[in-house]
Amino acid sequence: MTSIIYALIVGVAMGALIQRVRASSPAMIAANLRLENISVIKFMATTIAVGAILAYVIAAFIGMDAMHFDIKPTYVVGVLLGGLVFGVGFGLGGYCPGTCVVGAGEGRKDALWAILGGVVGAFFFTLLFSSVIAPINKLMDYGKLTLDQVLGLPAVGVAIGLGVIFLGVVYMLPTEVKKHS
Amino acid sequence: MAHPASQAPPASAAGSPGLPAWAKFGAIFGVVSALSILTWGPIGVSGTYPRFIGAIFRRLTPDLAHANPYLEKMGSFLKPETFLMIGLLIGGFLAAKLTGDKADAAEYIHPSETSKAKRYRDAFLGGFLIVFGARIAGGCTSGHIISGITQLSVSGLIFAAGVFATGIITAKMMHRGAHS
Repeated sequence: MTSIIYALIVGVAMGALIQRVRASSPAMIAANLRLENISVIKFMATTIAVGAILAYVIAAFIGMDAMHFDIKPTYVVGVLLGGLVFGVGFGLGGYCPGTCVVGAGEGRKDALWAILGGVVGAFFFTLLFSSVIAPINKLMDYGKLTLDQVLGLPAVGVAIGLGVIFLGVVYMLPTEVKKHS
Repeated sequence: MAHPASQAPPASAAGSPGLPAWAKFGAIFGVVSALSILTWGPIGVSGTYPRFIGAIFRRLTPDLAHANPYLEKMGSFLKPETFLMIGLLIGGFLAAKLTGDKADAAEYIHPSETSKAKRYRDAFLGGFLIVFGARIAGGCTSGHIISGITQLSVSGLIFAAGVFATGIITAKMMHRGAHS
C-alpha cells in the first residue's frame, strides 16, 4: 500500500518535470533527435548521473538489499531489436510511453492517439509473445548484467565515474545547434 | 498552414538564472529516481500497457487471459507502476495549469504532417511502435534508459544505443525537404 503512494508521488513529480523541460512536446523530441536542440537528452543524462551516484552512495551505506534495485536482464538481441523498433516510433510520433501520458494531462490530443497506439501495440505484442518474441529473447541472454560486474570494479565507484563522465560530456556539448536553412 | 512546430520550440522559461532548465530539473529528477529505488522500485512505464490489456482480458474472457503466458507473466494491473502512470497524468496537468503553459492539441513535428489527421496518424503509429519495441526489450525510456543506466545495467546502455540510432535516422529522414 505504501509503495502505491510513493509511486503516485514519484509519478506526479516525474510528470511535472517532464512537462517543464518540454519532453512531452513531440516537436521538442523531434528537435532533439535531429540533434538541433539536445536539451532533453541533456536532461536525461543529468538525471541518470545524479540518480546513479545517489542510489549507489545510499546503497553503500544501507546495503543493496535495503534498496529496491531491479536490474533488467541483458538479452542482447531482443534488447537491441526492441530499441531499434522503439527508435522508429520515437522519431515518427515524438512520444515515449510515459511522455504521451504527461502530454494527455496537458491536453494534447495527439498524445491520446499515441496512448491508443500503445494500447493496440501492447495487444498485438501479447498475442505474438510466445510464438515470436520469446524465442528471440532467449538469444545471447546474459541475465542481470551490470557495468560494475563487466568491469570488475566496485559499483559505487563505477556509478560515480559514470555520473562524472555523463555530466562532463553534457556540460561541454552545446545545447542548441543553429541550422543553416 | 506552415509548420511552426518543425522548428524547435523555445526552451522553457522556467530555468533559474544560473542553471539551465535541463540541468536543474535533471538534477531534481535524479534525486526523485534514486528515492524511487530507495522506497519502492525503479521507475518504469511501458509494462503498464500490457497489464492494462491483461485487466481487460481478465474481465471479458478470463480463460483466454489465464492461458496467455505473457499476461500471466506481467501480472496484476494493481501494481505501483499503474499509480506512477496516474501520477504522470496529474503531474503534466498540474505543471501546465500552474505555469499557464498552453499545449497545442496537435503539435506538427514533420513537414509531411499537413493536417491534424496526418499528425494523429504519426502519433498513433509512433505509439504502437514505442510500446511494441519497449515490450520486446523489456522496458522503455524510463525503465531501460533512465532507471536501467542509473542502476548500471548493461541492457539499458544497449537499448539506448538502439533507440538513438533509429530515432535520429527517422527524425532526420522525416525532416528531409523541410527547407526546400
